[in-house]
Amino acid sequence: MKAVWTFALARLAGILLLGVIVGLFVPPAWLWLIVAFSLYLAWQLRNLYLVERWLRLRSQLDPPAIGGVWGDVVAHIVRLHRRKQFHKRRLAQLFRELRRSTAALPDGVIILGGQSEIVWFNRRAGNLLGLMRPVDIGLRIDNLIRVPEFIHYLHSAEFSSPLIIRPPMQAEMYLALQVVPYGAGQSLLLVRDVTRQMQLEAMRKDFVANASHELRTPLTVIAGYLDTLADDAGLDPAWEGPIRDMRAQALRMNSIIADLLELSRLEAADEEAGREPIDVPRLLERLHRDALARTLRPREIALALDAAEGLYGVPQEIESAFTNLLDNAIKYTPADGRVLMRWTVDADGAQFAVIDSGIGVPREHIPRLTERFYRVDAGRSRSQGGSGLGLAIVKHAVQRHGGRLEVQSVEGRGSTFACHFPPERVRAAVVVAKSRADG
Amino acid sequence: METADLTHHISRRFNEDLEKVRNQVLQMGGFVEQQLQKAITALVEGDSRLGESVATEDYKVNGMEVSIDEECSRILALRAPAAGDLRVIVAIIKTITDLERIGDEGEKIGYIASRLATMERPADKYREVKHLGRQVAQMVHDALDAFARMDSQSALRTAREDRMVDEEYESIQRQCMTFMMEDPRSIRRALEMMWVVRALERIGDHAKNICEYVIYMVHGKDVRHTSLEDVAKQIDISTRPQS
Repeated sequence: MKAVWTFALARLAGILLLGVIVGLFVPPAWLWLIVAFSLYLAWQLRNLYLVERWLRLRSQLDPPAIGGVWGDVVAHIVRLHRRKQFHKRRLAQLFRELRRSTAALPDGVIILGGQSEIVWFNRRAGNLLGLMRPVDIGLRIDNLIRVPEFIHYLHSAEFSSPLIIRPPMQAEMYLALQVVPYGAGQSLLLVRDVTRQMQLEAMRKDFVANASHELRTPLTVIAGYLDTLADDAGLDPAWEGPIRDMRAQALRMNSIIADLLELSRLEAADEEAGREPIDVPRLLERLHRDALARTLRPREIALALDAAEGLYGVPQEIESAFTNLLDNAIKYTPADGRVLMRWTVDADGAQFAVIDSGIGVPREHIPRLTERFYRVDAGRSRSQGGSGLGLAIVKHAVQRHGGRLEVQSVEGRGSTFACHFPPERVRAAVVVAKSRADG
Repeated sequence: METADLTHHISRRFNEDLEKVRNQVLQMGGFVEQQLQKAITALVEGDSRLGESVATEDYKVNGMEVSIDEECSRILALRAPAAGDLRVIVAIIKTITDLERIGDEGEKIGYIASRLATMERPADKYREVKHLGRQVAQMVHDALDAFARMDSQSALRTAREDRMVDEEYESIQRQCMTFMMEDPRSIRRALEMMWVVRALERIGDHAKNICEYVIYMVHGKDVRHTSLEDVAKQIDISTRPQS
């Protein structure tokens, strides 16, 4: 037992003893006992009053100077209070620093509550989105940022990538918005000014498109003179070989430029592709006939039309994608190999696949196949005269139709290139049959 | 000033209904804003496809108007709102009519833009129209912001801007007349331009109407057909005791 308690009990016993002793000399004893108790109680009440008054008016009073157990209680309270003050100050300081640092962030930060109402935002976010403090606190963010794409994004609950919008009254600005959900339904909305990146990207695209376009004219002149030279009967036979090579290279350059232009056109059209009806079976039949008419081709080129459905999309883009896949397959399949085109439709959408028994692609190259000018090995497609842009075009064209390109390949055994299209792009077969009857 | 406090109802469903229909109005407003911006861009940049897309998308605005209207009738019938809530519903019913009209004018501009794109562009590249378009778009934007924030002061400020739009409209009108007199070949284009600036001027009026509904919603005062000075006085009086 602690010393103060021993002392307190001893004091109580002493007072009672005093009462009993006085009672023995001056009876009645019970009266003196009650007097002793009352004195003790009065003293305790006084201490209690002092402590209570001090707690009530703590800011103005010093702690009461009392001893015994009450003194210990006061000392404990003082200690607790000091510790609390210390933590409070530290927390406040931490919070101030946190706020200062988020306020200084170069990106906008908005804290959103469960109903996507604004809980807090830093200065940068206020500037970028035109939010006002304090009136906008508690308003729903989609009431103030009313761009339809943003409202759709906010309610889609699919926040893996940021959304890029042009804020309504600042048309020359681009903002990237990203929602990051965190505990208890709250989320962070990050706002970044990506105007510069978008401008650079636009400049790059413009440059490629313009450069390709400008190269076309000189190339036409060169190719024209080469044609004339090749037909010239008086040409030195020693020049025949070089001129033939030059013509072939000019032709190849022409196709590279055509592909570059096609690719930059696909890139520039950033919105989703249009929805014209396309009769895919008929398109494939035509591609099949054209392929069979080639002189250099694998022995077997087959077409499996497992579905009569068509697609909604841009006919030129779909045809260019399908042609590129077929060209690749024919190019990389030896003369005794086989190529199969297959068109299938199921609940997940439509699929166009080109399956070949060609030389295949080593696994480590597959993810990079759709990059521009990517070569699996240096010698491979130079000799075949490809532009190196075919698969990039396919990928872009398919993406613009909401689909994706899948590549499977085993080196030396063959490859499968498949374009998947989502169900909403599939055009019912009944209509196809009717339009066929019309045509 | 009263705030956007719609949380004082015993029936939580009622709150949710009011909040929902308010959100729908602002969503519709956002779409209309975008349509207007696209229409102006289509005109200034001679983008006929963009203009056409604005014209064909207008049906969405009409659809939104109908669905919000139905929702409002439902609330009126089921909840029989009174006082401030009734004003909110009445203001919403009026606001969506104006928003729908703004959509129609935007459609008109988009349609004219797609036609004008095939014609030769004027030397000033539609600078005046661009400026007026920006002014009007800003008005619509501010009116909707005031609606979202229930901010009668900024609604009043925005409503005042309509005068500037009217002045600009008249000056472009005079300019068009000069063009027509100087060069009769430009008459067709100038006439089309007249339609566009007329539409923009009308949009300014509709935005002003929306601002007046915001004032009505917040203060319960019908300020249509009153001069803006009187309105300012009235708002001032009704805000003074609280501020």
